[in-house]
Amino acid sequence: MIGIRERGKIGVGLFILSEANFFLLLIIAYVYYHAYPGQGPTAASALNVARTAAFSLALFASSATIFMASRAARRGHDGALVTWLAITIALGAVFILGQAREYYDLIEGGLGVSRNLFATTFFTLTGFHGLHVIIGLVALSITFALAVNGKLHAETRDGFGAVEWYWHFVDAVWVVVFSVVYLWSAAS
Amino acid sequence: MDQFPVFAPISPYTHALSALLIAVFLVLLAILLLETSLLVYMIIRYRDRPGAPEARQIFGWNTLEVIWTLIPIGILTVFAFFMISVDREADPLVPPGRKPDLEVIGHQWWWEINYVASGVVAANEVHIPIGKPILIDLRSADVIHDFWAPQLGREIDAVPGHPNTLWIEAEKPGTYMGECAEFCGVEHAWMRFRVVAQDQVAFDAWQRAQLATPPSPSAPDAIAGAKLFTDKTCINCHAIAGTVGNQTVGPDLTHIASRAMLAGEAARNTPDELFRWLKQPDVIKPQSHMPDFKLTDDEAHELVAYLEGLK
Amino acid sequence: MSQMVEAGVAPAVVTSEREGLLKWVASVDHKEIGILYLISAMAFFLIGGVEALVIRTQLLAPGLHIVSPETFDQMFTIHGTTMIFLFVMPMLTGFSTYIVPLMIGARDVAFPRLNAMSFWIQLFGGIILYFSFLAGGAASAGWFAYTPLSEKAYSSLPGVDFWIVGIACIGIGTLAGAINLAVTILCLRVEGLTIRRLPLFVWMTLVNSFLMIFALPLINAALAMLLIDRFFNAHVFDPANGGSALLWQHYFWSFGHPEVYIMILPAFGIISEVIPVFSRKPIYGYEFVAASSVAIAFLSFTVWAHHMFAVGMSHVANLAFGVASMTIAVPTGIKIFNWTATMYGGRIRFTTAMMFAVSFLFTFTIGGLSGISFAIFPLDWQLTDTYYLVAHFHYVLVGGSVFGIFAGFYYWFPKFSGRLLSERLGKWQFWLTFIGFNLTFFVQHILGLAGMPRRVFTYPDLPGWQVMNVISSIGAFMLGFAVVLFVWMIFDALSKGEIAGDNPWEAWTLEWATTSPPPPENFDRVPPVHGRRPLWDLAHPDRADELVAGA
Repeated sequence: MIGIRERGKIGVGLFILSEANFFLLLIIAYVYYHAYPGQGPTAASALNVARTAAFSLALFASSATIFMASRAARRGHDGALVTWLAITIALGAVFILGQAREYYDLIEGGLGVSRNLFATTFFTLTGFHGLHVIIGLVALSITFALAVNGKLHAETRDGFGAVEWYWHFVDAVWVVVFSVVYLWSAAS
Repeated sequence: MDQFPVFAPISPYTHALSALLIAVFLVLLAILLLETSLLVYMIIRYRDRPGAPEARQIFGWNTLEVIWTLIPIGILTVFAFFMISVDREADPLVPPGRKPDLEVIGHQWWWEINYVASGVVAANEVHIPIGKPILIDLRSADVIHDFWAPQLGREIDAVPGHPNTLWIEAEKPGTYMGECAEFCGVEHAWMRFRVVAQDQVAFDAWQRAQLATPPSPSAPDAIAGAKLFTDKTCINCHAIAGTVGNQTVGPDLTHIASRAMLAGEAARNTPDELFRWLKQPDVIKPQSHMPDFKLTDDEAHELVAYLEGLK
Repeated sequence: MSQMVEAGVAPAVVTSEREGLLKWVASVDHKEIGILYLISAMAFFLIGGVEALVIRTQLLAPGLHIVSPETFDQMFTIHGTTMIFLFVMPMLTGFSTYIVPLMIGARDVAFPRLNAMSFWIQLFGGIILYFSFLAGGAASAGWFAYTPLSEKAYSSLPGVDFWIVGIACIGIGTLAGAINLAVTILCLRVEGLTIRRLPLFVWMTLVNSFLMIFALPLINAALAMLLIDRFFNAHVFDPANGGSALLWQHYFWSFGHPEVYIMILPAFGIISEVIPVFSRKPIYGYEFVAASSVAIAFLSFTVWAHHMFAVGMSHVANLAFGVASMTIAVPTGIKIFNWTATMYGGRIRFTTAMMFAVSFLFTFTIGGLSGISFAIFPLDWQLTDTYYLVAHFHYVLVGGSVFGIFAGFYYWFPKFSGRLLSERLGKWQFWLTFIGFNLTFFVQHILGLAGMPRRVFTYPDLPGWQVMNVISSIGAFMLGFAVVLFVWMIFDALSKGEIAGDNPWEAWTLEWATTSPPPPENFDRVPPVHGRRPLWDLAHPDRADELVAGA
């Protein structure tokens, strides 16, 4: 029987299933309007795939680093835990800064959220993803603070496990979004 | 008009619907009676009373579960077959190249009807010849509406950005109820219409009259009314053939006097009610797009005289 | 052998030492939060009822001017929104929150603070929704807010914005509550309580939690995009500028259809507890009732466009959704038959709870059958958007969910409060409700067949329309009176009701193995669990369920 120790992970697991459905509808809207673009800029004309790929790598790498952090926690290596957590947060921040810069350039170039349906669905989809990253960074920062103060021990490890799963999810969503928006729609 | 239009079909499209509706109701009623009888039996036979036996601790019977799974599946399968065949009868495919007879556009809160072949423009009162399938191209100028004349055809939405087609037909002459069947804003209740089915001779006469430009008014108050129609800016919304008014914001009024009702059936088309409509549109159809022009009684009478001459 | 087992391990909960109002506001105890849900839902039930009575009064005669069309439209929009999001859902959540931890022998839910947050954000959402009345008018585009009517161009006042934000808050609270209950059921069950032994109310709550987990995000996505349309001048659902009105409908109903099952499944759970207890025998076909709920949950995601049969989808799409919609009738029917068979060979006690449960079987069946007439989609083309549709959904929602809620109240109120609701007054309240309900809504089937469309603030003087509307309105006032009587009965019972004791109904699930109301930690000792009816097994060790069934 699953027990009380796993409740955090299971709770986050269910939350992930729910958020996956949320992103599914945003992705469908993006794909649907890609087929009916109307006027104005499109993914192909507006997006800088290479630059986004670069800061996306940071996010993908952060999944590896949080895995390292969780391994350190399991083995009781508190120093390594704190270090890997810090690197994870830094990589996540790189991603957010990269996205903020991308948004800034697009908006300065005249592509606001209401410019056309590509713009609306692009900003909605990537924007909600970015929001989820920021929430993840907040959770990671709390975890980091607990780790630094030596409070990330056995009983709270379930909570850390939950944060880890959430972070992997945010990463996985970006794999899908990046593929759909930057690899597929920017090429067609 | 029939009290239960869905059971008084006068169209090849609605006969099948009506028959299926009755058949399905009978089956559903039988199921309901069965369940109700079982319930009544259970509550009487197994009620607690002195001397009643202990309740039997039974957990179920798989065979029964299979039976009461398969029987409903069987009934529903039969329904599914009829679903497909009646779909074909009520909503036949449009043959390639077949052009629509009417282009109907839903507005908040009136129906614009354009006769493709003849060029007649009507509003809210649809005349059709009997015995002919009429193909309607259905659109909306603003929000989602729904065109429904239950005795003549199925209901279907008028969706902005998504034109639909609808078949209607009347087997015999008469006046048949129609209404908007999708909530479309404050005056959805008064977006009703009627279909007047006429034999070919009468229909042709109606069409000819609708195509003719009405004669210029001759009586003094009607002449004054015609001038008011321009001065009071009525022509900014309403078209009348033979004048400079050609807008489709509001219904075409070229032959308004030929219609039975006003304002999506919110009022009857009599001089008294037309007078009230012009003086107090906000009382008859609150928040419709017809403004209150604060007409004096004389001005309103003159306009009525003019409009009632537009036969 | 009656080995008493320690109460299920639960997260340490600090029992509040505070008194009075602050105790309630700061509580993280599932029982107190459950009560808060029930009180809030009851208040919104009354408010939603007033909105309905305004509607029914305006429709007493053709051409009445009791309220303006705009006000009328706000009434039906907010009536629907309130009854669904602020009454039925929170009421059922309240029952689950209070009862499920007790039924599984736990001390509290998995995340007590999240539990509190769920309640308060739901209430906050309701307040935001109702604030709109003071801020230019409530939303008036209908409870499903079809676009482009709900876009800025046609709903320029902020009512729709308040509606969006209010529902989003409620949705977040509901989702958190669903995750909480699912984790509770999966992780906090007492030793011996396997999944196959779960009380059906717990099972339905578990399945329902999954339904919410998958369905609520769908409306959140749609609401987010509508809000972006309205606030940032975007056009996702605006056909005049390249958007799609039908995309909104697909998105809304992909949530909206599972939503109606979200509203009925816990009521199914209540019925599954009440009928066996008052028939004095176990539920008939437990596995089939449980499995059919899972089938319904899966199927509920495949039928959504049956709300769109009249928009002009392709023949193939209509057929697919029509067949799927008929399919979902099968597992629903299986349940009705099993509940009916549960009474066979029983010794039925007609407490008020049982009377509501039995009449549920009648009224919900009527609603389910009229639903089949819609699934056969060509018939939908003559029935949808008329009062026949209004009759259908009120039969399943009121004749189903609300009757289930009343049954649950009469059944569990003694556990919540330690007192019994008056059975004498209960009989009156039941008959007033039953007659009032059927008077209100049965005639609406006929009104719809006569052609009266829904959502109209008035109607032409066509033959029979007024008479039928008057009958319906009389029924509505009777129903309203019955609800007010019920509220009065609650206060009356709290002050001078008969003391209930631990187990006034001689029921068999774990919530009856503790005091009424339970102590803060729920149990002193949880009885051993070796079957689906632990207290039956304890009282009849030689005829314990799993001995008899050979399981």
